[in-house]
Amino acid sequence: MSAADRARDALDRLAEASATERVLISSAALVLSVLVGAALVLVAGRMTACTADEAVYYFGTGFCYDPVVVFDRLFFGALGDPLGGEWSPNGQFAVTLRETTLLLFTGLSVALAFRAGIFNIGTQGQMVAGALATALGVGWASAFVSGALATVALVPFGVLVGATVGGLYGAVPGALKAYADANEVITTIMLNFIATGVALYLVSGVFKDPNSAANQTVPLPEFARFPSLLFGGQQDFSLVALLFGLVAVAGLYYVLEHTAFGYDVRTTGAQPEAAEYGGVDAERTVVASFALSGALGGVAGAMYVMMVLGTFQTGIPSYGFDGITVSILAGNNPLGVGVAALLFGVLKSGTTVVQFATDVPPQLVGVLRGLIILFVAMPEFFRLLARGLPGRRSGRGPEAAATDGGVAVGDGTASGETAGSDGAEAADERGRERRDGGGR
Amino acid sequence: MSDASADRDDDAAPAGEREGRFERYTTRTLVAGTTVAGVVTLLVAGLLFPDSLPGTLAAVLTSGDTLAAALRLSVPIAFAALGGIFAEKSGVINIGLEGLLIISAFGAIYVADVTGGIWIGFVGGVAASTLLAALFAVVTIGFRADQIIAGLAVWLIALGLAPFASQVIYGSPNTPTVATSPSISVPVLAELPFLGALFSASPSVYLLFAAVALSWYVLERTPFGRWIRASGENPEALDTAGVNVTRVRYASVLLSGVLAGMGGAALSLDLGQFTGNGPTMVNGKGFIAIVAYLFGNYNPVGAFLSTLLFAGLDAVQTVLQLQGIGIPRQLIRVAPFVVVIVVLALVGRTRLPAAAGDHYETEE
Repeated sequence: MSAADRARDALDRLAEASATERVLISSAALVLSVLVGAALVLVAGRMTACTADEAVYYFGTGFCYDPVVVFDRLFFGALGDPLGGEWSPNGQFAVTLRETTLLLFTGLSVALAFRAGIFNIGTQGQMVAGALATALGVGWASAFVSGALATVALVPFGVLVGATVGGLYGAVPGALKAYADANEVITTIMLNFIATGVALYLVSGVFKDPNSAANQTVPLPEFARFPSLLFGGQQDFSLVALLFGLVAVAGLYYVLEHTAFGYDVRTTGAQPEAAEYGGVDAERTVVASFALSGALGGVAGAMYVMMVLGTFQTGIPSYGFDGITVSILAGNNPLGVGVAALLFGVLKSGTTVVQFATDVPPQLVGVLRGLIILFVAMPEFFRLLARGLPGRRSGRGPEAAATDGGVAVGDGTASGETAGSDGAEAADERGRERRDGGGR
Repeated sequence: MSDASADRDDDAAPAGEREGRFERYTTRTLVAGTTVAGVVTLLVAGLLFPDSLPGTLAAVLTSGDTLAAALRLSVPIAFAALGGIFAEKSGVINIGLEGLLIISAFGAIYVADVTGGIWIGFVGGVAASTLLAALFAVVTIGFRADQIIAGLAVWLIALGLAPFASQVIYGSPNTPTVATSPSISVPVLAELPFLGALFSASPSVYLLFAAVALSWYVLERTPFGRWIRASGENPEALDTAGVNVTRVRYASVLLSGVLAGMGGAALSLDLGQFTGNGPTMVNGKGFIAIVAYLFGNYNPVGAFLSTLLFAGLDAVQTVLQLQGIGIPRQLIRVAPFVVVIVVLALVGRTRLPAAAGDHYETEE
């Protein structure tokens, strides 16, 4: 390898590591997903029937769905049409902020786990556990207090209950991974099914609200819910909850970057062997990270109960899975989660607007979620796209790639493979190692 | 990470790993032995006290209907597990099996509905799954995406796309029903008391038997099978031997798409409908398939047997739900998921010593 090559490689590595590239890749992935989504809308529009008047025409062909309208509604509709003149914070914009608040917590939950080298797909289940515990705990406690002070006592209590139960539920796959070497991707997915099933059992039986046909717990009194400051409250949004979410973003950032525990988490995630040599107790870090991650998921559940529904009902929306997208989009950085949660809050809130304004099925956003994850997972694609020529890749790259690809399911080098689940970051790092290896 | 898949295979295990493998087998044997012992105890108890709870359970277990149900429930899981084996043996962990099942389940019904032919629908489902697997292959092999995240994306895309398409085409996440194919009965043999269920089943069950045997043969007895294993164990060596590792991996992942597609298509065509609410009709079968082949130690026959264990459990719980034996329905329903976790915890543990030693080995 010549000196020039070496220098260029070094520069490459610098560029790869830069946060700018991360932002560029995430943005590019988002744009590409929207484009693919638009194509999908067009194709779907060809497959349904509509009258000639309703159809829109592109490239001389008629389509029943108009992707421009869809994405206009999705983005501007979610913001309450700020360009329309009659903007009010109480409309769709409040819904967007509400979704953002919930996604902040599930996003942080996934991001923290990712940083520790853990793939927590169980945020959904931890959220369900936390939500149910909050609904029951606060429901029980609200009998003892009343008045204005009750809110001040009950809301933090509810958040605490949600965090504790979510954290305990998160610690289960953590312990299974640390001490029994059970792959966390599978266990957390299974635990999601279990949480939903057991919650259904409890809420349709012992804890069912006798006055309701739905499977739900007894609704919480108004004073046991998040107060709706400034915003009218029709959209079940509370500024207090959002502020709490922002504090969580800053808090997790501080914990990860400036505390000993954060250092343990990051080194365990990025360099497990080095962490072990450095005296980090890998097992304990895994369990602790998983518990903290679960606690954040549990808080999301508490928020959902105390801010949105006021009760626990079966069929909690998939905030946990959206949290994965948020985290991956944010490069697993807590500050990035703030931005990505807002963006995804827009998408989720916009879904309902799209549903009202067009005939396009709302499942479209589910597809977009998958596409975003897919594109963010392949930074190499965008690098090639940016360079414009595929020739620079060394011949043996892809072969080497797969040897170390992915998490070994159910298999367990305690140290080795944790790094692999570290998403996009690990993919970057591996790409780098490989390049070095190839040139040696 | 690097050697994650490397230390699993049996042939290439260095001496130090033997012990670990031995332990692993004993745990497997232990789990299997406990299961068998439990079942035998139950049967004996049931025979002695036919009116008690064990009696009911024994009657359920020995009924041909249970076996028939277990076989039917096995089909999607076992096909997906076979697909997972091919992909993972070659070094690509395909966690998107669930997505492949979903997309093929919908694709099969759609094509069957449009063309009116069940088998054309079957091919359509397989094609849909193979296309999605091809996307996964390009992304992970061609563009070196993280396999777990890309696999997750495959699942989420299918989870959104299938109900989306159903909503667009049929106006509901659930499709209308199409005709199902009649089951095939082998004369005389189908009359056998318990095992008769083996000889009177839907065509997909026979297809599964053939696929298990064929997969075992291909993996263990053909050069292609050796390439697949080498590509997952020691790609450098395979490269040196002049075989294109990338091609082997592409072929394996596509094959996993074909196999999972057969499972998904069989799942929906046997019922004649695709239901896309919530986690769709696939409902975690793809993930159970992953545990099934891990528990089956990457052996197609082993994967099939462990699938039969999970599916048998599921079949028993369905029958018990109908008979109503006091355990709430919702709780019985989560039992298979709990068992998966327990099995995974038991199987996972014994791997630890074997893998811990050779982390750096496959780094270049």
